[in-house]
Amino acid sequence: MGAIIELNNVTYSYPLANECAIKNVSLKLEEGRFYGVIGQNGSGKTTLCSLIRGFAPSFFRGSLTGEVLVCGKPTLDYKPGELSLKIGYVFQNPFSQISGVKDTVFEEVAFGLENFGVPVDEIEERVIRAVELTGISALAEKNPYELSGGQQQRMALASIIVLEPDIMVIDEPTSQLDPEGTESVFEIIKGMKDRKKTIILVEHKVDLIAEHADEVIVLDKGEVIRFGSKDAILSDETLLECGVQLPNIALLGNKLTRSGVPLERIPITEQQGVEIIGKALRTRSWCK
Amino acid sequence: MWREKLRIRKSNQIQALHPSTKFLIVCLFSACSLILGSIKMNGYALLIIPWFLIVPLLCAASGIFMKFCKAFAKVLLVATMIFLTQSFLVRSDVVAWSGGVLKIYEKGLQTGIFISFTILNIAGIFTWMFQTTRNKEISRALEDSGMHHKAAYVFMSTLQMIQVMGQNSKTIMNAQRARGVETEGGIFVRAKAFFPSLVPLILGSIIGAEERALTLESKGFDVNGKKTHMFELEPSGYEKLAASIAVAATAAVLIGRILVWVL
Ligand SMILES: Nc1ncnc2c1ncn2[C@@H]1O[C@H](COP(=O)(O)OP(=O)(O)OP(=O)(O)O)[C@@H](O)[C@H]1O
Ligand SMILES: [Mg+2]
Repeated sequence: MGAIIELNNVTYSYPLANECAIKNVSLKLEEGRFYGVIGQNGSGKTTLCSLIRGFAPSFFRGSLTGEVLVCGKPTLDYKPGELSLKIGYVFQNPFSQISGVKDTVFEEVAFGLENFGVPVDEIEERVIRAVELTGISALAEKNPYELSGGQQQRMALASIIVLEPDIMVIDEPTSQLDPEGTESVFEIIKGMKDRKKTIILVEHKVDLIAEHADEVIVLDKGEVIRFGSKDAILSDETLLECGVQLPNIALLGNKLTRSGVPLERIPITEQQGVEIIGKALRTRSWCK
Repeated sequence: MWREKLRIRKSNQIQALHPSTKFLIVCLFSACSLILGSIKMNGYALLIIPWFLIVPLLCAASGIFMKFCKAFAKVLLVATMIFLTQSFLVRSDVVAWSGGVLKIYEKGLQTGIFISFTILNIAGIFTWMFQTTRNKEISRALEDSGMHHKAAYVFMSTLQMIQVMGQNSKTIMNAQRARGVETEGGIFVRAKAFFPSLVPLILGSIIGAEERALTLESKGFDVNGKKTHMFELEPSGYEKLAASIAVAATAAVLIGRILVWVL
């Protein structure tokens, strides 16, 4: 399958900034896969998302070298609004994502579809589906400004899901959610993946990335320092030096290996941990 | 079924008038107030005083009298202050009234009445319009009248922003108080607390604005095609009648003015 998003030698710096926010990045992202983006604060995750969505440089200005292609076409060649149907973007801050002109959550979620001129009956159907999917049906008649941070985050997700874009770029959608809410947001994102959407998700909670993502992109000081299979990356302890967290189970796996327990490989999810560590315990060939 | 919920149903027929009709009434009423204000009796613009009675009557007929009183209290306060300062501070040769050390001069009383009642009239009729019309009706009417959707957005989001800023400023005031800044008490104490509290408020709005712009773009706001509207304006059916009354009343006022002038 061809790459749906391609970055070739991309270097980008914000206007008036001395340092590049993104340095020499080349990536090929494939259709229908779920990419987790991790890295410490200020490592350039949000900037990478803006580049993919074309906000940088078309909105933020700044200087870009190299090229960013979406579906084989440079982002700069898209007409205004054209990319909005291809790429759905959920921002980090839920508060500023409220359109500010709608009285109810229902109308807020419908806002995008109204702009694209979708017929009223279809809008109604799609909005109902999106609010059910994100678990905010009960809030549909409330004022968007009266929701809690977590509820606003779900609404932000709903108002993008409703557009059914092929690609979804989601920047820390769970920063204000409790563990249960976080889990349910990941279920929603997984549902999007099952519907063949390409997902790029920035998230600090590595345990969840380990569980759900297909591949991982690790950023450090604007550079992609790792890109590929999550099993190899999320078990690599050298990443700790770059301020990247690893799943707890991977840390445990590494400790066990060091203390002489021969594991097949380092587990990165609880499920794997139970299997791999269990197997090692059963064989006990290492035990004197 | 949702479209049903989004509909705005008003049992009061005056309230239910189309926003453009209400706007016509507002303009004509303000024009009449200015015309009447130009008729002076012994130098006093007395006609705009009874003219003001129309506003509370109209509000009562629209079934929003209490809402109007609440919204109008501040305007009333400002108008009273202007009236008092004008009356007591503007001096002229003729004393209209004197009681002990206080003297009201004729000139001051004249301008005081003129300015304060003009404000009451115009602000009053606008209050009537905004209290009987929901924001989304206004923005929808603006778009229908051919205004670009971006301009209508600016108008609409400004209205909402004022509300949200009001709420935020309370939060910020509370935060300042928690840090020991005095926010209660005399006017100087309050002013000293007020200006620092503006800084986070305005900064917050500006920082939000960038992401807001991007959000709008993500939701296709820039697309120049036909947009769908979930919400439709529904005229009450009495628009023609209401407009005719307003036009007739204005014509009468105008003719009256001309007669006064000629005779
Ligand atoms: N609008 C902007 N203008 C100028 N510089 C910016 C802007 N946004 C980000 N930067 C800078 O670019 C660098 C990368 O920031 P970015 O927001 O991409 O980091 P991040 O990985 O998303 O961090 P976080 O985890 O805190 O969200 C930072 O050094 C930041 O200061
Ligand atoms: Mg970020």
